[in-house]
Amino acid sequence: MQTIKNTYKAIYYRLFQLDDRLLLIVAGSIAGICSGLAAVALRLSLESVTELLHPLRHYWWAFVLPAAGALLSSLYLEKISREGAGHGIPEVIYAVSRYGGLLRLRSSYSRLIASFLTISSGGSAGPEAPVVMSGSAIGSNIAKALGLNDRQRITLVGCGTAGAISAIFNAPIAGLVFTIEVLLGEWKFVNIIPIAIAAVAGAQVSQAIIPEQVLFNHQPFNMMVVDILPSLGLATLAALISVLFTKSLRKIGRIAKKSSLPLWGRVIVGGCAVGVIGGFMPLVLGEGYHFIQSMISGSFSMGLFMTFVAIFAKIFATGMTLGWGGSGGIFAPCLVIGSLTGVVFHKALSFLLPSIDIASEGAYALLGMTGLISGVMQAPLTGIFLIVEITGGYETILPLILVSSLSCTMSHYIEPASYYLKDLIERGQFMRPGTDARILSDLRLNELVEIDYIKVSENMVFRDFIEIIKSSKQNFFPVVEDETDIYKGVIQLSTIRRYALEPGMYDMVFLNQVMDEDVITASLEDDLQDVLDSMDLNNMDTIPVVENDRFIGMIAKTRVLDLYRRELIMQTNIQ
Amino acid sequence: MSGKKKEMELTLFELSKYLGVEQNTIERWIRQGKLPVSQKGAVYRFPISDLKKWAVKRNISLNLEKQNLPEREAAPFVSLSKAVQNGGLYFDILGDDTKSVLSASLERILKVPREFKTDLLTRLIEREQALSTGIGNGIAIPHPRVPLGYLNDPLVAICFLETPVAYQAMDQQPVEVLFFILCPDLKYHLQLLSSLSFCLRDKSFTRFLKSRPDPKALIQKIEALQTLNTF
Repeated sequence: MQTIKNTYKAIYYRLFQLDDRLLLIVAGSIAGICSGLAAVALRLSLESVTELLHPLRHYWWAFVLPAAGALLSSLYLEKISREGAGHGIPEVIYAVSRYGGLLRLRSSYSRLIASFLTISSGGSAGPEAPVVMSGSAIGSNIAKALGLNDRQRITLVGCGTAGAISAIFNAPIAGLVFTIEVLLGEWKFVNIIPIAIAAVAGAQVSQAIIPEQVLFNHQPFNMMVVDILPSLGLATLAALISVLFTKSLRKIGRIAKKSSLPLWGRVIVGGCAVGVIGGFMPLVLGEGYHFIQSMISGSFSMGLFMTFVAIFAKIFATGMTLGWGGSGGIFAPCLVIGSLTGVVFHKALSFLLPSIDIASEGAYALLGMTGLISGVMQAPLTGIFLIVEITGGYETILPLILVSSLSCTMSHYIEPASYYLKDLIERGQFMRPGTDARILSDLRLNELVEIDYIKVSENMVFRDFIEIIKSSKQNFFPVVEDETDIYKGVIQLSTIRRYALEPGMYDMVFLNQVMDEDVITASLEDDLQDVLDSMDLNNMDTIPVVENDRFIGMIAKTRVLDLYRRELIMQTNIQ
Repeated sequence: MSGKKKEMELTLFELSKYLGVEQNTIERWIRQGKLPVSQKGAVYRFPISDLKKWAVKRNISLNLEKQNLPEREAAPFVSLSKAVQNGGLYFDILGDDTKSVLSASLERILKVPREFKTDLLTRLIEREQALSTGIGNGIAIPHPRVPLGYLNDPLVAICFLETPVAYQAMDQQPVEVLFFILCPDLKYHLQLLSSLSFCLRDKSFTRFLKSRPDPKALIQKIEALQTLNTF
């Protein structure tokens, strides 16, 4: 019995602990399957409820439907699951960079339910970001259940994300690329294999449950050399629309924050606005997959002008849904706006040059989608691979790469941060591995503080202090109150040198007369970044750390540099 | 036009000041392509708008508006002769112990507001009880341990006792001259104390002091000594 146990332990150790690849692959595929199931569940329920609500759309009061849905969704998030609104991808990125991908179990379903309520009632938002949030929370909690470390947990968060995206689009490579490009931000060999397997698992789940992928079924497109020049024009247009979309989303959100309405009031206003627009233009409602489908297949019937107007209507409706309290992502709206952009461009081109022989409208809708994804998320590879997988072939790869890279570069020029990262950067929470911000946030003050300092009493006579200086190597002496040990100030040898050379003063001065009381101090909870900034601002090389009025120790810049270097080596050398 | 253009760009020297690094470092960064730069021949110019974008992206705090970095304000300085002028000389103080001479001297010192005199006296006595300020050679430097916020300027008042009194001085000699150091701020206190102890190390100065000189002559003597003391 004992030998069996020992053998099992040895095998377990060799297979899983010594080298965690196998473990990550197994756990990752489970995460991929689970998040794939979540994605499929959301998609199916969205489809059925949208169908169910369809007859109601003909009534005059249909415009309140999105408001009701958004209201329920925000009430759910606010009162039941107690999580903030928003699409969740910045939160996942932040959790990955700051807390090793730690996410609450609650997050694995709360956004799903909230976005289901918002989108099924007609709110203009995408189900992808909630599914990503849920997939990554599933991955994170699987890692937690298995007792894995931060690095392994991040890989599983990536697996969950990849499974979710690939299940919803039936596009495994897009899932893999999105995860690495947007969420993790680093191409590491140990991550790629488990994530790829999870992505395939997610796609398989989706195929098994929904056999006929009505969403974006494969279409052959023939793109010729003649399409290259027009695609450059489309890239420019897509970049402009991307920037407009990003900026107006944020602008509308800011207006909502400034308004004095309570949360429920805001949600109702936003929902009704979407409902009214949707009354005239049903295209803006919901996630819009069906309209994308009709645009790709060429059965889209709106005229040039109305399509052009629809772009702005969709942008506005998405802003009103997400900025005013609804729940959901921007991925699907990006696709809708992108395909509209492509269709507008195609229609305008055929109108101006009727004799030109370019590819079909559907092909341009796909190019437009790539342009928007690359522009808004600044994820060019995700844009390319998603469309490649949707079309099921590499015929369009050249124009795709052109549009994707151009749109990404141009929108980057106007708007340097992508929509997902902008909030994080503004809050100073954007920390990719190996960057300064990441290292500074990983280093805690209690790792840096040097504690073996001789403390001196504030009532000590200077002559006694001179004796201490003689036998000590310290340059700084914390001064404390006699009985309570409360920190009073600090004495720097450099500032008292002139008095130390004046024996006439030795008996005339007490230490509380020579100490610096107004030296800035840090507390152990402070962020290293802030501490270093204030040290820079005040020309200090060493800062006292004081906690609850007690002196803890000093932090010296030399020590920070030392540890910073070790941390950088540790962060950049993990496989 | 050229003036406006200058505002929009920084030179290598200016940028090195803003970033707090050597010019060599900036040249290396340019070589490695880490900085936005517009190069005209051998002259580097840094467009401010590009620099700002660059700094925001890299989370570098770069405050270009603030043309002058805040200088650390110089510590306030007061010379001993000025403080003695401010404090004044007082002769023939009566009394036969520490407490009575301190009290009698305080009564005479003009610059201390009347309502604070009793408070100051208790503080001075407290200080003497903690450790005598008699530094020997018949001289004492009574002072309170806390700064006196109600004084406008630091002052040193010199009081000559009519008869020397026992003062628990270090050399057990009776004290005949009291230097009161009264300051609104601790920084002055340390400066005055240090200049005073520098002066008192000079034998000729103590001898001159014991001759009970008139204020003008004393201040001249102090000024002469101060020039020897570098700070």
